[in-house]
Amino acid sequence: MPSLISPAERDFILKGIECNIRADGRQRPDFREVILETGVVSQTSGSARVRIAGGTDILVSVKAEIGPVQVDPETGDGADKGQIICSVECAPSASQQFEGRGADDLNNELTQMMTRILSNTSATSSSASSAAGINLSKLCIIPGQQCWILYVDALVLDYGGNLMDAIFMGTRAAIFDTRIPKTEVQDLGDGQFEFEVLDDAEDTDIVDGREDMPICITLNKIGARHIVDASPLEELCTEAKLVVAVNRSGELCGLQKGQDGGIEPSLLLEMIQFGKTIGQSLIKQLDAMIKAEADSDLGKRQRGEPIHKLGFFAQ
Amino acid sequence: MSFTFHAPTPRETAESSKGRRGEDMDIDEEFAQIQAKASMKDMAVHVVTPGEVITSDTAFMRGHGTYIEQEKVLSSLAGVVERVNKLISVKPLHTRYTGEIGDVVVGRITEVAQKRWKVDVSARSDAILMLSSVNLPGGVQRRKQESDELQMRNFFMEGDLVVAEVQAFFSDGAYSLHTRSLKYGKLRNGSFISVSPGLVQRCKSHFHSLACGVDVILGLNGYIWVSAHVPQSLDEIDTEQVYSNKNKEDITPVDREAIARVANCIRALAQETMFINDTIISFAYEASLQHKLKDMTKREVMQSIAQEATLAVENMKG
Repeated sequence: MPSLISPAERDFILKGIECNIRADGRQRPDFREVILETGVVSQTSGSARVRIAGGTDILVSVKAEIGPVQVDPETGDGADKGQIICSVECAPSASQQFEGRGADDLNNELTQMMTRILSNTSATSSSASSAAGINLSKLCIIPGQQCWILYVDALVLDYGGNLMDAIFMGTRAAIFDTRIPKTEVQDLGDGQFEFEVLDDAEDTDIVDGREDMPICITLNKIGARHIVDASPLEELCTEAKLVVAVNRSGELCGLQKGQDGGIEPSLLLEMIQFGKTIGQSLIKQLDAMIKAEADSDLGKRQRGEPIHKLGFFAQ
Repeated sequence: MSFTFHAPTPRETAESSKGRRGEDMDIDEEFAQIQAKASMKDMAVHVVTPGEVITSDTAFMRGHGTYIEQEKVLSSLAGVVERVNKLISVKPLHTRYTGEIGDVVVGRITEVAQKRWKVDVSARSDAILMLSSVNLPGGVQRRKQESDELQMRNFFMEGDLVVAEVQAFFSDGAYSLHTRSLKYGKLRNGSFISVSPGLVQRCKSHFHSLACGVDVILGLNGYIWVSAHVPQSLDEIDTEQVYSNKNKEDITPVDREAIARVANCIRALAQETMFINDTIISFAYEASLQHKLKDMTKREVMQSIAQEATLAVENMKG
């Protein structure tokens, strides 16, 4: 990850974007290729590895654990809800800058963004029991006591620009891959409950409402134009960054502006609109890819063939 | 707008590529392969990680990338074990640049210090460019003054890209660079690519003007500069302009496309771990013309370009 750029390079990139020829030959709305595999970490409830051709490499894991419900002391909310806890960590091997405490700010920024979009109940949903489309009530085991907590951990293994979009693609794929064990609750009377986790690998729950999870599109404003899927050098030229979170029905689920440049109101509306359209079509194709892999795994499982994941032996 | 999603593909192993090549070989090649098989045991790739025991046999000597602990030879790097007779060394998977005097390198200024600039050349430590090793504007023979020291940022600023030559080594192993020739200096009018340092071959010249109107500077440290062609005759260069940050005004979209195409060709070659020199870049460029520019970031297209370029080079050699 270069942290510096020369004025001549900046000028070259800016004028290139102006005439719609980016440094790697793409046009302004072009994404790079995405390489995706789910189920790469067997110790997790669900996982995915997303790579963007040109560098970015992200591993996302979802771990379902049982924990106490978190009740808001003021409103009494949350007694019948599970939780989603997000965290992003940039590995020092991804870039020299991430060594020591160098990645702290970026980790914070990415974690906050994920938390805001995925675990904030008030931000996105029409019904209060869901966060980012995911039905949290279904994650509750014993109301007021125990629930499932989904820990979503993203690890940035390599940096090649556009981390945010890749993290959200990986999260969506990992959540789709997630299987939560079924539980059986017994009523012992006097408000006492006991539950048992069934360890049948065949009979598990999926994360309810996963299709409605939003995805992020990062738009980088460079000069008077904006581009998607910026490369590291393009990110250094970015005056203002707009992250648009959108779900499959095209609803705006979150918006975050980064960096110190300004965006004119008319351009802002155009960028949001553009992010929404591109996000919807991204979700459609991402889901098709995830489904194809899940179907092929299912077919193999039914035929009794071993499912072979490439993981880190892949190219 | 369109998106491409891919499932990962398995890595090609040494054996699978051998098998593929074996489809149409003649007797001579077959003989060579039988011979190769006989020594296969030595050739089998042995990948090690830092701290891994390579051998506990005390008969072996320790080479680069290894160390001895409790009479065992351990690896100090992540890489591939190489054995020459009794000498064991580890060749790292990722290398940094190790330079020699006279190498042409492309670097990025990271720091302006007392009478010197620090330059990132993808080596183990930053290289150093002394104020006394650059040509100052207004004549080659000018004496350095105190005022020059105060306005060093007017020459090179943090982030600037320079092409320079390795002049000497310091006692701590850092490289000392110089730009005392009109072909060296600040880089403009183009874009920057970084590849693994091992891929750039040492050639007679590292400054190339390709037929497609694109100039390429192949830094031996793996940093490559691809830029619009600037006619260069040494008399014409305005010494005042050497440190300018302004790109030339007339870079046309056609130029930009050519630059992007050449840059993508180099990326394709680097991705397929092929040596990079001006010949193979020209062949790769020709092979790329049948693809749309925006498709050149796709993996299949990159592979086919790299393959066609290698074939063309092999044909040329006869």
